[in-house]
Amino acid sequence: MKRIRIKNEPKNIKATSAKIIGFLRKQKRGLPEDVLFDIKLCIEEALRNAMIHGNRSDGKKPVDISYDIIDNRFIISIEDQGKGFDASNLPDPTKGRNLAREGGRGVYLMYRLMDKVCYNDRGNCVTMEKALL
Amino acid sequence: MRIKIEDRNGCSICVISGEVDINTAPQIKKFFDRIMQDKKKKVLINFKDVSYIDSSGLATLVELLKNIRSYGGTLKLSNLSSKIKSLFEITKLEKLFDIVEEEEEAIKSFA
Repeated sequence: MKRIRIKNEPKNIKATSAKIIGFLRKQKRGLPEDVLFDIKLCIEEALRNAMIHGNRSDGKKPVDISYDIIDNRFIISIEDQGKGFDASNLPDPTKGRNLAREGGRGVYLMYRLMDKVCYNDRGNCVTMEKALL
Repeated sequence: MRIKIEDRNGCSICVISGEVDINTAPQIKKFFDRIMQDKKKKVLINFKDVSYIDSSGLATLVELLKNIRSYGGTLKLSNLSSKIKSLFEITKLEKLFDIVEEEEEAIKSFA
């Protein structure tokens, strides 16, 4: 697995997703742009959650990322230093009044766009997988 | 990210180029503040040059829609790429927004 540790600074979100998308483009030439779009979006959503909700924008706390391609699947884990949260408890942004709420779609999009999303027991590390077809 | 605005047939047509995301959301909000101050009734956002949108971008559009509706205005979206349209479908925001295929069709459809 490739491992990187980044500072809890918003500017690192785009830089990190660009680095990982660059890795995927190099390793798997001809990957559909739609697949790369989904992966980019989910990486950026997860990094933003880690920095803002997990590390509570504390610049001293790092975010650890590990990623690789295994058996034609992209796998990435993103871990913050926070207390963690229960992703199963989040309101469904597509239901009722939630639809007209501004926020609350980041984690939902991760679940919908990746093939597999799971959090560790503490809830401070998310692992996502997507087939590279 | 850039936004161009043009008034045609009483409709404010805003063409956004680039990414609509957490980085550009403040700039987009600031731009549309002017539209809302002027209480523009017919607003169209043309997405033909939008390459990417994230949950912050969607949140910005929902806020904009609510603000425009609050003074009796109408917001339409046109020329979404199939990928961006699929995000509106996944999030069910297609039910909230008036999404039209082409700019001309959108302009004609304003009552």
